[in-house]
Amino acid sequence: MKKLLLGTVLAVTAGGFSACKEDQIQEEFGVFELEFDHKVGSSSLSISAWDDTNYPYTNAMGQVYNVTNFGYYITGVQLSGPDGAFLEDHIHSSANPDEVHGYYHILESEPASKSILLKDVPAGKYNQISFTVGIPESGVQEGATGGILDPAAGAWFWNWDAGYIGLAVEGQSPSSPEVAGAFNPEHFVAVHIGGWKEVASNPNMVNNTKVITLNFEAVNVGENLEPSAHLYADVAKVLDGPSANIDFTTNYSIHSPIKDQPFAGNLAEVFSVDHSHQ
Amino acid sequence: MDINASVAKRWALLALLGVTLLSQGCQKGEEPVDPYAFNYPDYFPDPTYTFDNNPITEQGFKLGKKLFFDPILSRDGTIACSNCHVQAVAFADAAHPISIGIEERIGKRNAPGLFNLGFRETFIWDGGVTHLDFVPLNAIENPLEMDDDISLVIQKLTAHPEYPTLFRQAFGTDTINGAYFLHAMAQFQLLLISAGSEYDQMLQGEKSLTPLAKTGLSIFESRCATCHDGALFTDQSFRNNGLNASHESDPGRALITAANSDKGTFKVPSLRNVAATSPYMHDARFGTLEEVLDHYDVGMVDSETLDPVFRQPDGSLGIPLTDAEKKALIVFLETLTDRDFLRNPLFFRN
Repeated sequence: MKKLLLGTVLAVTAGGFSACKEDQIQEEFGVFELEFDHKVGSSSLSISAWDDTNYPYTNAMGQVYNVTNFGYYITGVQLSGPDGAFLEDHIHSSANPDEVHGYYHILESEPASKSILLKDVPAGKYNQISFTVGIPESGVQEGATGGILDPAAGAWFWNWDAGYIGLAVEGQSPSSPEVAGAFNPEHFVAVHIGGWKEVASNPNMVNNTKVITLNFEAVNVGENLEPSAHLYADVAKVLDGPSANIDFTTNYSIHSPIKDQPFAGNLAEVFSVDHSHQ
Repeated sequence: MDINASVAKRWALLALLGVTLLSQGCQKGEEPVDPYAFNYPDYFPDPTYTFDNNPITEQGFKLGKKLFFDPILSRDGTIACSNCHVQAVAFADAAHPISIGIEERIGKRNAPGLFNLGFRETFIWDGGVTHLDFVPLNAIENPLEMDDDISLVIQKLTAHPEYPTLFRQAFGTDTINGAYFLHAMAQFQLLLISAGSEYDQMLQGEKSLTPLAKTGLSIFESRCATCHDGALFTDQSFRNNGLNASHESDPGRALITAANSDKGTFKVPSLRNVAATSPYMHDARFGTLEEVLDHYDVGMVDSETLDPVFRQPDGSLGIPLTDAEKKALIVFLETLTDRDFLRNPLFFRN
């Protein structure tokens, strides 16, 4: 098989060299910037300290809360356009952080993480983006990976059911009961959405990674252009959406694939387009 | 010298004598055996490991071995992987039925033997880990085991007088991170290949089993191989083998799958080296193979998730075995001990 492929490559290279060279000259690339802004309903997200007893946000049940941590992984980014322009972001796992590509950990606490510059985007008109929230099987099963997927460097990772936490909301609510001896007795609230395995015979083995597709006003990619799309992620819609409404009195600690499933079902509504610009 | 010696034996001799031997399957005059190559018999399944991301090298293997024996991985520097995974008993726990962590903390399950890990689909008794790289995180961060934090482990290794050089030699990196650490650990564990038992020698046409062992093999094939299947002696499934009526104290696989039908099910263990890895079952309740076979014969406890394979047409539970059959089975199971693996100097502490 290898020999056969090599032969083909050689034949194509030898036979089509001049044509190929001509194509390469004509091919034009540019960049595309993706920016994420975080909000809670109509307010912009503001991160509270652990000891903060102000609760600026209110869920659908009227329970107040604050947010101490919010973020998510995205991967598998694709851009497409009305005339066939297409980019599939290259994905690569490696122990060497400099070689890891195509995985992004967007964290409210790290402003630089909220902007992604996609490079080597074929020139053309684009009006749609899609990406996966969470690290799917293809990423987990690559094994240990450096950089933002390194558990020793702050990656969000479950050891016991090995895989990554795709999206997390942490905060506090006076409605969340104090639990003596618990991990955090201070009215803690945590929704950690993980789970990437699916087993046909077991409906409880769930894949909570979700592909999000969004349309935006068309922009052009090309040399010397700096187009961008600005996206929103709404924390309130993680907690209250079409498949789950959180009740902090009972549902304050969500940490397993099956418990996460209803909240993963809300993810389709969490992301939206603010605007795009040239 | 026996040119038909097992792979493990050849590695052992290689290290002991410092001589180069010919590879068993090779024609005369071919290349010498590379002790750091991932060699396995043709009757093994395809490996599951992602070697493209982490090719095994001599330096990576040796680094992984040093880490395996180093208590620096535990919070208080008292417990190494090798405390509970001892080569002489196929890297199972030689001293404790239920493994002991730092500060004499008592764990929850029996430490299983470590071998042929590059062929496994899942790890841990409950199968919660699906890639070998991630297995050590469980022992390092479990409060009942090493109770450390992987980021602190990396800090300790970075500040160590030797490790930065060893990581540079193994991976060409000036910065130790979790991924390189886990890759080194995996390289050591991957080469823990056990395929040199008497049974393997029989398969390879080098030796025949004794008549009693042959009888045991035929009983094994008809009564045990449904689950302890294939060259690895496990079909890698999760089953309830009738240990408990209630599964609350350890739900096993259901901890991962949240399925009632998985309550009380655990990974079917490999039976390679089984005579060396007493005690038996995830909770270490049986000390001898006789007790294990008595359990399958008459000791099974019913519960909703008991594997159907143990329900006999007459309504009885288990696998009926006569005393003579048990004796023959045990003689056969003893042929699965890979003595060269248990004393292969390649795996000795430096």
